[in-house]
Amino acid sequence: MMNTLVYVCPFVPAEWVAAHGMRPCRLLLDAAKERSLSGVPSGVCPYAHTFMSRALFEADAAAIVVTTLCDQMRRVAELIARSSELPVFLMNVPSTWQTSTAQQLYIAELKRLGRFMVRLGGKSPSREQLAEVMREYDTTRSRIRAARGVLSARHYSEAIATFHRKGSADLAPPGAVPTPRGVPLALVGGPLMANHFQVFDVIEKAGGHVVLDATETGERTLPTPFDRRQLADDPLMELAIAYFGSIPDAFRRPNSELYRWLKRNVTERDVRGLILRRYVWCDTWHAEVQRMREWANVPLLDLDIGDDDHDSRTASQIQSFLAMLK
Amino acid sequence: MNDDPKRITLEEWDRRYTELRKAGMGEPDYGGPLRRHVEDGDLRLLGLRYDNSAASLRLWNFLLTEKDRLHQARARGKKIVGAMKDLGTVPVMAYSLPEVVAFYPDGAWWIPCVMELSAGLLSIADSLGINESFCPVRAMLGAFVTGAHFPRPDLLTCSVGATCDDFSAIAQRLNGLGYPILWWEVPHRRHPDPDEEAVTLPGGFVAPEIQVSFVKSELERLRRAFEDFAGTHLDEDALSAGIERANGVRRVLAELRRITFTAAICPLPALEMLIAEMLAIHFCSDQGEALVVLNGLLNEVKSRVRAGKGVLARESARIFWVNPVADLRIMNLLEESGGRVCGTEYLFSHALDEIPEDMPPMDALARMVLADPMVGTAADRAARVSSDIRAFGAEAVLISRIPGASHCAVEGTVIGDLVRSQCRIPVLEMEVPPISDPIQPTLRTRLEALIETCRELRKECSVLE
Repeated sequence: MMNTLVYVCPFVPAEWVAAHGMRPCRLLLDAAKERSLSGVPSGVCPYAHTFMSRALFEADAAAIVVTTLCDQMRRVAELIARSSELPVFLMNVPSTWQTSTAQQLYIAELKRLGRFMVRLGGKSPSREQLAEVMREYDTTRSRIRAARGVLSARHYSEAIATFHRKGSADLAPPGAVPTPRGVPLALVGGPLMANHFQVFDVIEKAGGHVVLDATETGERTLPTPFDRRQLADDPLMELAIAYFGSIPDAFRRPNSELYRWLKRNVTERDVRGLILRRYVWCDTWHAEVQRMREWANVPLLDLDIGDDDHDSRTASQIQSFLAMLK
Repeated sequence: MNDDPKRITLEEWDRRYTELRKAGMGEPDYGGPLRRHVEDGDLRLLGLRYDNSAASLRLWNFLLTEKDRLHQARARGKKIVGAMKDLGTVPVMAYSLPEVVAFYPDGAWWIPCVMELSAGLLSIADSLGINESFCPVRAMLGAFVTGAHFPRPDLLTCSVGATCDDFSAIAQRLNGLGYPILWWEVPHRRHPDPDEEAVTLPGGFVAPEIQVSFVKSELERLRRAFEDFAGTHLDEDALSAGIERANGVRRVLAELRRITFTAAICPLPALEMLIAEMLAIHFCSDQGEALVVLNGLLNEVKSRVRAGKGVLARESARIFWVNPVADLRIMNLLEESGGRVCGTEYLFSHALDEIPEDMPPMDALARMVLADPMVGTAADRAARVSSDIRAFGAEAVLISRIPGASHCAVEGTVIGDLVRSQCRIPVLEMEVPPISDPIQPTLRTRLEALIETCRELRKECSVLE
């Protein structure tokens, strides 16, 4: 659809895009489906590589939005802009978050994104229109949060990813409501690709159960529910608070909020082990492995994901990890 | 005593030092023979080739005694700022306060090379989960842990945002180990939209005014932090004077680069030029002495050029060097392969350009921050490289890829493609680890091939003329 804005970053608010009359689509990449690009230098993270492949062959979008969450994506945006016919918008998402100026920069970037969308044919929303769209999204996210424990771990995470992609979610259990069994685990790290969701099955088969999806595609990056009174008064500010002010991530400086968020959820859900999935060449998550291992009161398994996934190796690592936890 | 310029070994420097002393060479308090640094563990010095001038001796001694200077500064009651990543701006502010010195812990990235891995810094980084998939700047973590290479700073700052992920992640790891860090944001420099006010930055890049204002507000945060910990006011006059002093260093360095890179015969080797450029970043912890050292080099270079003398053959291929190299030995290797450095972009060209003095100092510093080649696009950086290639008459480009560095994977390709098309000269990209001995034959072959290509192109040009 030609009014679609595609992106992968959780700090691009879908409501902001939708309120401008565009269709937001936070892509769920699939390394197995994207075309392999020749001439990509070694050292490029597989996720950034896959994103570039997808973006360069994206035919149905109006534009591509990339953010500065990581250095590689920032630089990949430049490569895409050089080769793609689609306009590319690079949005500055500050790493710092403890100052009002950082929040102001984020809001300024949202406004710039808004002007970009208007140039593409979008319409600048009134305060009421923005608030209305935000309420709709907020309501759907509440329904998704309520579905945790009702859906299987995999279905739940896929529902979140589908919501990001389409703006709606299928929350009907495909069959009988599953009874959680096995060792409760948290899955932590960067984004999953469509061909990675099988990790939930592998974990269950090995005797574990994901009770916390703290990956970038999972519940960690759902913005906090809006304050409905604030929403009516100043929806853009509320949007910034919910996204920029609340989504914990490894790239933030300092990234102490990620650890606070994890501690709260790991404790509440009685998590007994962490699986940290990171892409090869992702320095941001790689640097957290040892620190998280020292910080956590539970064991941690470090899974590095390369260009060519070795499913059997991953499965074997997970099996060994769970054998140790049982 | 033969004073003709040449490149000599450390052994030859031992004899030369004695001769120079006998001839009456005066030295500052940090002076002495280079050999003593080997005894302190700087083993790489044994395998390097050096310029034989007294000015270069002073440069090396100045560089290799920085740790002592920092400890002396602390003993005298001065406050120490550890500036990380911004490469050039924070020290200008810090040295505007009389009781503050600043240095870059990032500089530890050369310790594994200089000490030939004997300091164990990379092993410590490994043990902290920061392995060889990260840039060699991970040595900084080890340096903090051992405390053996610089005193623990009273204040640590780190610019983040449009920086390489390696550094940001390593600094976060440091923070997680209990080192408080004042993080400040540098946004990705973008081109202004048509409806935005544009600002031309030192060096020629352009940014929207809104980004300059934002960075200025971040620098104001730094200024308040400096005032708090130094217990004194950092006013506009002090900052302006600090900028003026920094520009004094930059002007001398600019002249040194211009003369060295454009001279018919190379008057100063690439290694000494690399170190000279590094002085611009934080003045090696003594701003006044840095200026003296650079002036000494400039005088030496002028005198050699006047005499028509130099350290390399006249026909040496003129190479533009992009990115700092993790192993200093490679600067020698280029010259041994028949090349000379004629132009550089070591990731801190914003620390070489003069800071504007015709505007309020914080505005000027904010512009300097955004002029950092690393915070913009690779295409911007390539344009700057191309412009300098034309100015210095380089015949080829060498992009030294930094192992594990997040920016190098994509950036080198973009810069290489653009420079090749803009300047029509050959480009070589090669990765250099901190100790490159095992792969030096391969590196030499590649360098020789590049230089041979330059010579062939020269022949073709002369035939066409």
